[in-house]
Amino acid sequence: MSTEKEKGFLPSLWAALSSLRLTIPLLIVLAVASIFGTLIPQNGTPEEYLRIYKVSTYKILRILGFLDMYHAGWFIFLLALLSLNLIVCSLKRWPSVRRFFSQPEIKPDEGQWKATAPGRRFSLSLSPKDSLARIQGGLLHAFARPRVLQDQGAWYLFAEKGKLSRLGFYSIHLSILIILLGAMIGSFFGFRGYVNIVEGETADRIFLRSGQQVQPLGFKVKLEQFSVSFYPTGAPREFKSTVTILEGERKILTEPILVNHPLTYKGISLYQSSYGVASVEKVVLEVVERASRRGFTLSAQPGVRVEIPGSPNSLVLNRFIPDLQGMGPALQGTLLEGERPVENLVILQSHPEFVPQRPGRFEFRIRELQPKYYSGLQVNRDPGVWVVWAGCFLMMAGFYMTFFMSHRRIWVRMMEKKGETQVEIAGSSHRNRADFERELDRVGRSLSEPSLRGEKENTKGDPA
Amino acid sequence: MISARLVSAVTFLYLACAVLYFVFLAFRSDRLGKLATGAAWVTLIVQTAAILLRWVESYQMGIGHAPLSNMYESLVFFSWCIALLYLLWERKLKSRVIGAFALPFAFAFNAYASLAPGISARIDPLIPALQSNWLHAHVITCFLSYAAFALSCAVSIIYLVKLREERKGEKGEDVTGLFPALDSLDELIYRTIAVGFPLLTIGIVTGAAWANYAWGAYWSWDPKETWSLITWFVYAIFLHARVTRDWRGRRTAILSIVGFVAVIFTYFGVNYLLSGLHSYA
Repeated sequence: MSTEKEKGFLPSLWAALSSLRLTIPLLIVLAVASIFGTLIPQNGTPEEYLRIYKVSTYKILRILGFLDMYHAGWFIFLLALLSLNLIVCSLKRWPSVRRFFSQPEIKPDEGQWKATAPGRRFSLSLSPKDSLARIQGGLLHAFARPRVLQDQGAWYLFAEKGKLSRLGFYSIHLSILIILLGAMIGSFFGFRGYVNIVEGETADRIFLRSGQQVQPLGFKVKLEQFSVSFYPTGAPREFKSTVTILEGERKILTEPILVNHPLTYKGISLYQSSYGVASVEKVVLEVVERASRRGFTLSAQPGVRVEIPGSPNSLVLNRFIPDLQGMGPALQGTLLEGERPVENLVILQSHPEFVPQRPGRFEFRIRELQPKYYSGLQVNRDPGVWVVWAGCFLMMAGFYMTFFMSHRRIWVRMMEKKGETQVEIAGSSHRNRADFERELDRVGRSLSEPSLRGEKENTKGDPA
Repeated sequence: MISARLVSAVTFLYLACAVLYFVFLAFRSDRLGKLATGAAWVTLIVQTAAILLRWVESYQMGIGHAPLSNMYESLVFFSWCIALLYLLWERKLKSRVIGAFALPFAFAFNAYASLAPGISARIDPLIPALQSNWLHAHVITCFLSYAAFALSCAVSIIYLVKLREERKGEKGEDVTGLFPALDSLDELIYRTIAVGFPLLTIGIVTGAAWANYAWGAYWSWDPKETWSLITWFVYAIFLHARVTRDWRGRRTAILSIVGFVAVIFTYFGVNYLLSGLHSYA
């Protein structure tokens, strides 16, 4: 009978989970799966997928959860497995790390002394007892405050630095768990939705991204005004929604929401996300008939045909364009003669100078145009976000501890030999050994100096 | 624009530096080495001036912003980070042999910025999504990490070349004899990644913080975010394999090159091949 079988299912599961052999394949599987997630468009509509894939491929991808992969059961399972692996590995490693804190090795293995370099072994012509104060002070000055132990006629001193770096591993791995916990809090207790509000109107509920459900806000949001501005190049400069938060009929605050400048009220954040033209209620055009130089004004409404007086023509404004290639707002329309379209028109609001260049029977200029915008706001509540930031902060601290600190330990042994005190220095560092060797040399020199810095002048003459 | 012309000049200067470092490798002359180092520092200073000048020029145009906002600017900054990190490492390690492999990276990215037809050197105003102070923290940490990974990739290439030569039994006969011992190269790969990995993490975290302000979610599995995570996974695998499973040498060198391929894909591939919110650099 094999020992594996005797161990039973649970212990062998524990062994598998606690093994680092599991960590690397898990990370590889997560990385490869994520690659697929970036190659296959996520959360598209069936029409979008059928444009790229065959029906059979689409069905397979849907069944395997590749179309919303990062929320698919198997992906979450992989993350859960990674977390479990991380927890078990950490627990398994804890006793050996805890020892550095609970029972520091004041007296090292015999082996440590064998490797003592020549500069780190010297004699002092004092008794061990008298040398003790001096070495203690020296270590404190050159390295860290030592602990002392007397054992079998020898004195042992032990000082350490950077012990915290032993915990770097825990900080990083714990931080990953905290970040995942924050993400879970967000997905269970938060929501993510959107709302489109037309200027002057009020919303008190939003649509959730998942499943088109409606979420009441608990307060009201009124869009006072939306504005968009452009650079001379035509690139957008600023999208701004000025909103008022209302509780019942009481105005609480009025503030702008811009991209990179959300508004948070009662834990719910509103972000500028999109905009559009809800309607153009009334347009007043100045029309000039070129042949007769006859001028008059014309009121129009998008989508409604208007006769041009004194002519067989009529005009339909098809569309309002908030910004036509950087030239500002424009109306697009069709000029008809009877039932026959004779001309396609683009009328720019801010560039009347183009009008004379355009051929045609009439000149059109916009005298009055008041589009009514709607603003698309992303509306989120995520109570887990601060947990995520705490996790991120812990991770940074963990990296600092792991990569930029090292646990350095120095031991000193003092033994009496022919009336003198033999001093030996040993040390260990779990990282950057070359740098530590230099530090150890420096400490050795400092301890073996005839006079330690910091001591008083009058001790200099002593026959030490 | 004077700054763009300076950047073009920097391309040729970096090419000259790379050649100098190669010549230094071939002739092993200390004087040549000093010349190469001097040339690299001068080039870095000229490049710094070009970047600062571009910053000034953007203010003169009335659309002032730090030159970190599009493909052109990020490429020049990437090249600058590589040269800076390399030169700092050269000082610390007192060894110039990696230069012949590191400077070509600085050259390549700067050359791509100034010569590729699809990349415009025009200074554009900041679109609303980029109008944030997070831009600086995010871009600087990301590109410093990319630069550290570029160096680790350079050292990994040296490692693999040297390993092949040693296996052929021509030890010390050619230029590979001048490279540090395999063990030190292996250590150097680890140390560059030990710098790059925390920086990449900060880059991802600052990106998440920014996304939380701009898009309302710290993580939305946008292709760029996902690829940065994939890159993070690759280097996490590297660190775990090396520290806990005692992988050394060839296997970790290959992992480090795979990691840099992921970096390059995160940087370029996502922009050119996939669509997402990060359509700008």
